[in-house]
Amino acid sequence: MKFKVRAARKEDCKDISRMIMELAVYEKMPDQVKISHEELERDGFSPNPFYECLIAEVPDEHKTKDGYTIVGYALYFYTYSTWKGRSVYMEDLYVMPDFRGKGIGKGLMAKVAQVGVEKQCVRLQLSVLEWNKPSLDFYVSKGAEDLTAKEGWHFLRFDGQTLDTLAKEAPKD
Amino acid sequence: MSNFILRKAEPKDVSDILRLIKELAKFEEMEEQVILTEKELLEDGFGDHPFYHCVVAEVPEDHHSSDGYTVIGFAMYYFTYDPWIGKLLYLEDFYVMKEFRGYGIGSDILKLLSGTAVKTRCSSMHFIVAEWNKPSIEFYKRRGASDLSDEEGWRLYAIEKDDLVKISTMKR
Repeated sequence: MKFKVRAARKEDCKDISRMIMELAVYEKMPDQVKISHEELERDGFSPNPFYECLIAEVPDEHKTKDGYTIVGYALYFYTYSTWKGRSVYMEDLYVMPDFRGKGIGKGLMAKVAQVGVEKQCVRLQLSVLEWNKPSLDFYVSKGAEDLTAKEGWHFLRFDGQTLDTLAKEAPKD
Repeated sequence: MSNFILRKAEPKDVSDILRLIKELAKFEEMEEQVILTEKELLEDGFGDHPFYHCVVAEVPEDHHSSDGYTVIGFAMYYFTYDPWIGKLLYLEDFYVMKEFRGYGIGSDILKLLSGTAVKTRCSSMHFIVAEWNKPSIEFYKRRGASDLSDEEGWRLYAIEKDDLVKISTMKR
């Protein structure tokens, strides 16, 4: 099946938002999606974007039963390792179920890797849920190493009330 | 010791920042993994497109460290994006020299960054900690941090440069 991978445009945010929700459903956490295409537009397409996004598009004759031609996306941003310097973090990679097995996921990831190499990034990082065997296998086959297993890294978070409480005690300027 | 200030890092601080990065890496038993140079820190933090932001803790000259330093702590952070909740503040490194601990410097740095997160419309502050690093995990959990690896099963994966180049040239 022919498909094209290209940089997302502001008008693609409605499709990206639709697919973000599909991925959240797959990850069994749909109630955790709090933002819509409006925030995506504001945060990805202003002079100082907080993420970059690639989308996979199929020709009209292959559109989904609901009429969509945008069938996959990869959302990523740049991070920094104090040990090695510039890195790229792939936050989301998703292809609609009917379009899997055609090399679209591979194509999206190849483009993220290309962008990372062009920007002199020393590595690409991502996180995967431990039960998500298909994804784990896909990434491991491309050379990914589980740093949680190898080095013991855990993700921690301060959010909501906890963050506000800490912030209230911030030293004055 | 109540006499310390927290301020935004400036280009002149890169040599102190690299020194503290190496000290923290040594504590994490991964000192030989630091290949970053002062030149890269300068370009990447103070150029046209900063990849990170940095806050340093400084003491007055008369309270300098045993080897003569006045910059005795730092925190490096940047902004990331969660497609479910939007902007996040990501804390990459956070370190106070051993002889300056117990005075509330680390605590104040964390509060300052929480204030920055709230001011810049971030929903959350994220970071990673090594599971064997009990003192740090306690420090964060006492302040309300949740462990997403334990609670939700997230695992961190990395693909290094050589494999990244291979992937970028993959044929369909």
